[in-house]
Parts: sequence; structure tokens; C-alpha cells
Amino acid sequence: MEKQILIGGAAGQGIAKTALLIGKIFTNSGYYVFNYRDYPSLIKGGHNFNILKVSDKPVNSHENFYDMIISLNQDTIDKHREKLNKRGFVLGDKNLKARNLIELDISKVLEETGTPKKFGIDVLIGAFFKILGLPIENVLKVVEEVFKKKTDIIEKLIRRGYTSVEQKIELPEPNEKNKYFMTGNEAISSGAIASSLDIYFAYPITPATPVLHILASKQIENDFMVVQPENEIAIINAALGASYAGAISMVGTSGLGFSLMAEAISLQGISEVPLVLYLGQRTSPANGVPTYTSQGDLKFAVNAGHGEFPRVVVAPGDSKECFYRTIETFYLAYKYRVISIILGDKHVGESNYSFDEFEEPKIKPSNFITTPSEEYKSYSITENGVSPRAVPGENAKVRASSYEHNELGYTTEKEDLIVKMNDKRLRKMDFIKEEINKLKPVSVYGEGKNLIVGWGSTKGAIIDSLKKLENFRFLQISYICPFPTEIVKREIENSNEIILIENNVTGLLGDIIAEQTGKIIEKKILKYNARPLTSEEIVMKVEKVLK
Amino acid sequence: MKIEDLNTGEKITWCPGCTNFGILSGVKQAITNLVNNNKVDLNKIVGVSGVGCYDKIYDYLNLNFFHTLHGRTLPTLFGIKIGNPELTVIGFGGDGATYAEGIAHLVHSCRYNINATFMVFNNQIFSLTTGQATPASEKGLVSPSTPLGIGEKPVNPLALSLINGASFVARSFALDIPHLTKVIEEAITHKGFSFIDILQPCISYHNTTQFLREHVYKLEKVNHNSSNYEDAMKKSLEWDYCYSENSKIPIGIFYKVKKPTYRRQWPQIRTWHRFKRKPDFRKIVEEYKG
Ligand SMILES: Cc1ncc(C[n+]2csc(CCOP(=O)(O)OP(=O)(O)O)c2C)c(N)n1
Ligand code: SF4
Ligand SMILES: [Mg+2]
Repeated sequence: MEKQILIGGAAGQGIAKTALLIGKIFTNSGYYVFNYRDYPSLIKGGHNFNILKVSDKPVNSHENFYDMIISLNQDTIDKHREKLNKRGFVLGDKNLKARNLIELDISKVLEETGTPKKFGIDVLIGAFFKILGLPIENVLKVVEEVFKKKTDIIEKLIRRGYTSVEQKIELPEPNEKNKYFMTGNEAISSGAIASSLDIYFAYPITPATPVLHILASKQIENDFMVVQPENEIAIINAALGASYAGAISMVGTSGLGFSLMAEAISLQGISEVPLVLYLGQRTSPANGVPTYTSQGDLKFAVNAGHGEFPRVVVAPGDSKECFYRTIETFYLAYKYRVISIILGDKHVGESNYSFDEFEEPKIKPSNFITTPSEEYKSYSITENGVSPRAVPGENAKVRASSYEHNELGYTTEKEDLIVKMNDKRLRKMDFIKEEINKLKPVSVYGEGKNLIVGWGSTKGAIIDSLKKLENFRFLQISYICPFPTEIVKREIENSNEIILIENNVTGLLGDIIAEQTGKIIEKKILKYNARPLTSEEIVMKVEKVLK
Repeated sequence: MKIEDLNTGEKITWCPGCTNFGILSGVKQAITNLVNNNKVDLNKIVGVSGVGCYDKIYDYLNLNFFHTLHGRTLPTLFGIKIGNPELTVIGFGGDGATYAEGIAHLVHSCRYNINATFMVFNNQIFSLTTGQATPASEKGLVSPSTPLGIGEKPVNPLALSLINGASFVARSFALDIPHLTKVIEEAITHKGFSFIDILQPCISYHNTTQFLREHVYKLEKVNHNSSNYEDAMKKSLEWDYCYSENSKIPIGIFYKVKKPTYRRQWPQIRTWHRFKRKPDFRKIVEEYKG
């Protein structure tokens, strides 16, 4: 059984926070929840809403129809009433106008308890959980945890809401207690801390800002540093400086900032100073649609920076995967002295996913720094192309250069050396490829002769659509660089119908697949209205493209 | 150590007679003096340079060195310093690199008051790209990219750095090597952001050698009070980087004061690669458990 709940109101009314709290209460009670967040680029006013899918079985995405709307204003009802199921209802203040409105006299409760208007939302929370028949203790327990103390007013208001309505929905028994409930951004932050991050450099930009905030708030407790220098150019150059000096460094940004970083990405390529970069895509080009999602930067992530040099690009599809992939990016970047890009987007970054367990990561953090001898060469030519990493300050001279160089790092224009150095750098890619083959570069879900191919944040909706599609598998490609050519080719060759699904205008992954495997996928489902796909939409569109 | 220990054996490709040779020997002498007086540890010195004629100093100094992008010496230097605060970081920039491409970084480096040294080889021209005007070129300069002459006055890097909080501001002359050496030594030992604008005539594209020889004078000779901000500002405005006959060009230390450095705000900064942290993954994800 799945229930879909929309909660909406104006920016500044605490919609996102309330949705999060509701999600936590459900996951704490043993339900699975997916929480989608939709907000325009403004601070006060406008229309914000969240959609929660709640179930006793794992859920990976949201839908655009609702069993219930929790509404803080008339606007929410007007905008979403068409998507309310026939038997669904609206929960809100008695002044609102809606079919099937479960009325609450919020002003009266606030007046009687002498609390300010902004607390009205707590009355709604109480009523909401009564309607779904969740025990009040479950609700209050999480509230207390979230606010980190007992909050008498909030508790009182929740109780008032709880007792003012009747239970209307019977939820199934949850399968197990206590799920993790986490956004992609939280998982990336956690993965970075678990990788023993030393310094995170970033400049505010949606949807990567939450990583900046999360890491900044945890820096003292976890002994690392978060810095916000003057611009993205400074950020990536400073991060390369810090990495050269021995710090495990990471930067985070979105398309606009990533564009500014392109020159230094190329510097990374030739200087081989390790770096991890989080690119949270939003709707582009330029400022695009700032607070909404897209997969439009795939080829830019793969190609940014002039010249040819190795890199890692990995695109996790949900928050749990974000955690492990982040750990992998640190491992690969620092071991192979390359740039590793975690390619996310607004949807995976800011949606909350729920899951049962975290397995201990197999990769242990390391900066791969060696103790140099006096004969140390910063760019020694080795079999796997990796010159052992050393840092300045010990007894060897450590050099990093933006010019072509010899093994010691001195500038060169010699023909044979230029060839040797290019070969050395690119050789690393073969070894990284071997590594990623052990890291599950692709995943196949479901069974069937037909194949859906996708990447990144469409994962959840596609997996949920498989329940309703017959004879379909889903090939999720996580590693884009290096590309798992053989596996992808095999999966495509072993399928009848093949459909590419992407959240962009032209089907960028399709181009990469064609380039890497020679296989052209003709049937495409592309969505580019800045909103994520839903499973229902996928089912409908799959039927259409197969016609 | 001997000064020759700083040689690399790489072939020097500056134009014969280029004044960069003077700066190179000043830098070497200053480092040698500081190392021999136990003021700095040679192994802990890191050079940083961007791209221009000046950047070749990367190949001519046997130091740890990061050769970065055009105009990006400063953010790289900043990163190195917070990546390992034990390092003595010395940055090199050109006037094009610093006052055109990367000027924002200069403003902010002064504000941050990073404990590092930064010197600009100011030849008032883009030399390596064959002599176009930079924002440091004098008003009216005719160059291949400005055949009509530049209409604007040049930036004043000293005033700019003073107003943005640099705690050490100096100007030197590439052809007065003993004086330059002294200033560099002072800059490196100063705790805070030390900025030196070095007048460095480019004999191929902007040869101001004669004029500068005739018009520079030393601040030491006029009893300048380098701990006074107003005096420093006044002196920094004395020359406008243009070439009028009555120009008086002070060189020396304009300003030097004690100020909290960037590090003060970051109790957790340390030599990261030696820091043994044991991240406990269960603890890290614990708070997301519903
Ligand atoms: C982003 C970028 N733009 C342009 C160049 C080309 N370029 C190389 S050197 C240089 C001029 C450097 O001038 P300056 O910093 O004054 O140093 P100088 O050569 O005078 O010593 C330029 C523009 C570059 N390397 N990078
Ligand atoms: S062009 Fe000018 S700055 Fe460059 S090496 Fe020649 S003289 Fe020196
Ligand atoms: Mg110049």
C-alpha cells in the first residue's frame, strides 16, 4: 500500500521542514518514505510544496497525484486539487475552500494556547497523524529528537490537532523499525567525512549549497575545514593548492560555477594534483531554472577542461548510492591523482530517500601519500601511469606544473617527452577501468527481454515503474568515466526493445553510449521541463514509444 | 647552504639582459640568507607562480614549486597555506596576471591576511604574449592591442592592497638587487600577507630602465613611518605609474603592521597529511536514522 501526501504553502511557512519531520516520523515508525521537494527561487511568498510517498514496501520516487493534501493556504489547493484522488481529502484551516476539506479551527487553537501564528503548522501535523492512525507517542518522540529538547508548546499543539479529528486511513503494519532517511546531499557530505576529508571549498549555489552548510556545521566536531573563498575560480585553484600541500580536498558547485572551474580542471589533468568535485546539476543553460532539476550537464562533466586527460565521473542515483560513490571518488582521485566528479542533480541532492541499512564501506580512507626519497621525481613514469604522491615539506622537492614537464616537473617542449607524459597520464585510465569493474559500474534491475537505459536521479522513478511494466529490465549506468563499455554493449545486445530515459533535451547518455559502444538507441523518453520523471509518467510514455 | 643550491641547471630563456635576472638573484640571496640564519627551513619553502615571462622562475629555483595558471598564483598560494600552515609560501605574479586576470584574488588575499609572501614582477606590459598593454600600463601607451593609446590611468596596486588590509606593503626595483633582497627577506619573515610590487622594466617591450633609475628614491632616506597607515597611503599615491618628468617614485617598505592572520579564525587548521583521523562511519550516518 502506498499513500501520497502533498504539503504546500508559501515560502517561509516551513513547508520543507514539516515535510521532513513527517518523513522522519514515518521512517521512525518503520515505513518507507520518499520526499520530493519543489520550491521556486525566492525567499518569502511564492508556492512551495513537498510530495511524500509513504509505504510499507521500499519506495524510490514520488507521483503527481495525491491521497491527501496538507494545505497552508488556498493557493496550494487551487494549484493541486485536480491531482487529488477522488476519495482523497484536504487537511487545512476552516477558512480554506476545498472539496473533502477536513477542517481545523487553527486560529482558535492558537488563541486558546496563546501561541504565535507560525505554530499553526503543528496543529496540522497532529491532525494528520491522527487521520492516519499513527500513535501519538511515535509522533512526539521524533518531534523531541528533531528539536533536541522537549518543546511544550509544540507538543501541546500537536496533541490539540491530534484530538480534533478522527482516524480515516488504516495504514498497513510497517515491516521493520527505523529506516535511514537521507538526501543525496547529506549522503555526499557523509561520504566525504567518511573519506577523511580535510578541506571542503565551495561558493553558495543551488543545489550544492546544502553540502556547504552540512559540512560547515560539522567541521569542528569532525576536525576538518570548510572554506568559502571569493569565487569558484579561487575555490578550485585553492583546492588544488591544498591538495598539493597534502590535504584531502574537495570542491562543490553547480553548472555556472563548474563552468568557471573548467580551466583549473585542465590544470588538474596535467598537474595530477588529486581532487574530488561535486557537481550538482540544475536546469541549465546559464541560470536556467535555479531550484529545479536536470541532467543537462553530463557531457560537460565528461569533457570540461581543455585537452585530453583522465578523469572519473560517477553519477549516483539515490542517496545511499551517493554515500558509497563519494567514498569511491576519493579513493580513485587520490590513488590515481586524477579529478573525480560526483555528478548529481537537484532531484537526487535534495530528495529524501529511505532505506534499511548501511553496510560498512569496503574502501578505507587514505591520502596515498608516500615518504619520498631524495631522488623523488614528482612525475616519474611508471607502469600504471601513477607517479607516487609526495607532499612538500619533507626532504624531496615536490613540483606540480601547468606546463608539460619532465619527470622532475621542469618545463619541456621536447617531442618525445610530450608523448611519454601524455601516454603516462592516459594510461591511468586503463587501471581505473579495472578498479571500477570491481565497483559495480552498472546495475541491472528487474527481469525481461526489454531494456530501459538511464543514469543518475531517474533511477528511483524507473525502478518504481518496473513494477507496472511487463518484461522490462533497467540498466542503470553509474560510472560514465571510465565508461563500462563491454557490460553496456552486452546488455543492449541482449535486449529486444531498448528505451533511453533521461531528464534532458537531447539524450546525452545516448550520445555517450553511441560513442563508446557503437550502439544507437532510437527510442527515447526525454523530459526537460525542469521537473523529475515519475513512475506513472514513465509507464505511460513507455507504452507510447513502443507503439 | 650555498646560494648555488638553489640552481636547477635548467636553461634560462629570458631575453639576455632581462631585469628578471635581477629578481631571480635577489630571491635566491634572500632565501639563502634566511635559511642560513635559521629563519626558514629550505625544505618547507614552496614557490607558486602563474603564467608570463616571470613564471619561468619556476624552472630556475630548486624549491618545492607549484606552477599554476595565468592569474591564479594567489588562490593556489592560499590553498597551500591552509593545506599545510607549516610551509613558507612565496608567490610570484606578473602585472598582467595579477592586476588584470586575477585582480579579485589580490583584493581578497589582502583581506584574508594569509601568512605568505607575494611579489609581482611589474613590467607594465604583457611580455610573454609580445607586448600588449595591461591595467598597469601608463596612460597613453600605444601597444599592438591599443594602437590608439590607452585612455585610462593604471591601477595603483599599493593603494589597493593597503585599503584591503594587507599587513605588509612594499615596492622594489629589479635593478637594485641589495635593496630588493632586503625587502624580500623582510616580507618572508613578516607574519601576515606580504605584498611587493617590483618595478621590472621589460627591455624588449616596455623599457623604462633609464627613467626608473633616475626617479626612484628609498623610503629609508626620508624617515617614512611604515607603521602608520595614513603615511603609507600617502606615499603609495605619490607615483601614479605614469611617466611625467616630475615623478618621484618611492621604493621600500610602505607599511608593516602586526595583524591577526587568517589562521586565527580556524582553530582546526593543521598539517593535514600528518593528522591521523579515524572516521567512524556508523557515527557519521547515525543522525539520519529515522
Ligand atoms: C587564461 C589565460 N589567458 C591568456 C593567457 C596567455 N598569456 C600567457 S602569458 C600572458 C601575459 C602575462 O603577462 P604578465 O602577467 O604581465 O607577465 P609577463 O609576461 O609580463 O612577465 C598571457 C596573457 C593564458 N596563459 N591564460
Ligand atoms: S620579454 Fe621582457 S620580461 Fe620577457 S624575458 Fe624579455 S625582457 Fe624579460
Ligand atoms: Mg607583465
